[in-house]
Amino acid sequence: MDFYYSLAQIIGFHTLLGLSAYIVLQTGQVTLAQAGFFAIGAYVAGMLTVLAGWHLVPAMIVAGLAAAIMACLVGFPALRVRGLMLVIATLAFGEAVRLFFFNFDYQIAKGDVKIGPLGGEGFRQIRWFPENGWTSFEIMLFVWAVVALVAGALWWIDRSRFGAVLRAVGEDELAAQSVGINLTAVKVTAMTIGGFIAGLGGSIYAHYTTHIEHANFNVLLATFAIAYPILGGLRSVFGTIVAVIFVQGFLVEGLRFMGDWRNLLFGALIVAAMNLRPHGLIDAATARRLARLFGREQRRA
Amino acid sequence: MIVDIVQTLLNGLAAGAAYALLGVGFTMMFGVMRRLNLSYGATLMFGGYLGALLASRAGGALPDAALVLLAAAVTVAGATLAGLYVERLCFAPLRGRSGVAAMVSSFAVWMQIEEFSTWLLPLHTNPYPAPFNVASWQLGALTLRPEHLLTLLVAVLVAILLHRLLRASRFGLAVRTLSDSPAAAQAVGIDAGRTTLLAFLAASTVGGIGAWLVLVADQQVTPMFGMWSMAKGLIAMMLGGLGSIPGAVAGGLLLGVLEASGQALFGPQIRELIAWGALFLVLVLRPGGLFGRAAFDLDIAAHQRL
Repeated sequence: MDFYYSLAQIIGFHTLLGLSAYIVLQTGQVTLAQAGFFAIGAYVAGMLTVLAGWHLVPAMIVAGLAAAIMACLVGFPALRVRGLMLVIATLAFGEAVRLFFFNFDYQIAKGDVKIGPLGGEGFRQIRWFPENGWTSFEIMLFVWAVVALVAGALWWIDRSRFGAVLRAVGEDELAAQSVGINLTAVKVTAMTIGGFIAGLGGSIYAHYTTHIEHANFNVLLATFAIAYPILGGLRSVFGTIVAVIFVQGFLVEGLRFMGDWRNLLFGALIVAAMNLRPHGLIDAATARRLARLFGREQRRA
Repeated sequence: MIVDIVQTLLNGLAAGAAYALLGVGFTMMFGVMRRLNLSYGATLMFGGYLGALLASRAGGALPDAALVLLAAAVTVAGATLAGLYVERLCFAPLRGRSGVAAMVSSFAVWMQIEEFSTWLLPLHTNPYPAPFNVASWQLGALTLRPEHLLTLLVAVLVAILLHRLLRASRFGLAVRTLSDSPAAAQAVGIDAGRTTLLAFLAASTVGGIGAWLVLVADQQVTPMFGMWSMAKGLIAMMLGGLGSIPGAVAGGLLLGVLEASGQALFGPQIRELIAWGALFLVLVLRPGGLFGRAAFDLDIAAHQRL
């Protein structure tokens, strides 16, 4: 049973990563910086609980804010460029963050051992969960409570005026600008919210694995981050959640029995999914159908 | 002091010449497709792995010179073949449609090719046949490595051949038309599918030659090579200006010199950080690249198609 709890936790923080890219993608910006914000969240939260002895929840919030501030700072210059230039600029930023942590040493002595991030060795012993006696089941509940909170907030944003503004910018910048929408403000806000969510996800990830190192936050993770919402479709937060369950639950864990062949099939299945459903697993038509389904049920009830 | 600077510059230019070829291959693919091929590095790694596989299976049976030449041929051919696979699978079916979907597909194929290569040779470090027994020559106070001279020589040769191909052939004209304006290419009856495929294969070949030069200097190939070569190609391409071949050459040389000077000043661990930091700054401050002409307009066209 612990295996499934652990899998649910993995799906949980990957969902946060995917949702952090989801809101940025809503404005039509494809970003590969999410792994960098995820890394900032992981390192900041880990340092706060391990080195400063904080409780996890405030540490997570501070880690999220740190990532959000970074996202805001990067957002202003980076969002001057668009399309592929933005993809590559954010990729460069993400890699620079990773290489920063590769060179980052901050160790303090606790008792007779030294703890803290140590460059290429990584950051070991982030043991807040076991030290406070959390069971795997409780951790899973906690992770999914955070996911539900974030997904609920994004679901609400989707339905609000702000969500309409985000999608307007994503659909057609010129039209959005001509009705008086401040493009820079909207994009930077989306980037900042995305940074905060990625920071939350990273802080959970650090406490889940207990050992983080720079190599965890490479471009592969950044690509996964945008792959989830694109695979799931940009019409609904549930698309991202479905995509993460499909990738992490089915493709990564479910196919483990296939051994070496798994990654070959993994690629083939994603290519097939993108060729068959170029607008995502849950695209506009599916979303409408779902809404109609629920709508009808509500009317009957 | 002067000698140190000249030496650093020389090392940088030699490394940069290989980066330039990686960048040229990448930029040609982007030019004809307006798509980023994320499995570029993996295809080069596949070529390198085929070369190393040849050395490990037939190493004793062949004379050294034959092995080196055969490994070079196998590496370049392998990269081209893998390029064919990627183009047919990820880019041909989605031509003119969702650019993001093509990018995600090429990302998935990247993992596939990488996994297949490591399945061929499971070891982390695989020796790659190298042509030179001499470690280096001394020229006064300067140290010359034969691999560096080879790299510079081959890079210049490839650049000249490529320039001939693109400037003085009908195929080159078609490629340039397609890069400048897909609509105009269609209007004058250029077969976009065929031209894209051939240009993609030519780009894979150029990238394969660049990869071979790097592997000969390193004398080994690891599973990290795919990611590494894509990063170098990408930075070289973007520093110079997206879609511009002379820009990619200049960007590659600049990247080599930047890395070598960074290493000389701050130590080897700072190398990569400098490369990515420089890329971020250049893209943010001068989105068209340092030497780009109308690359920014190209980007807007790309954005509209995305």
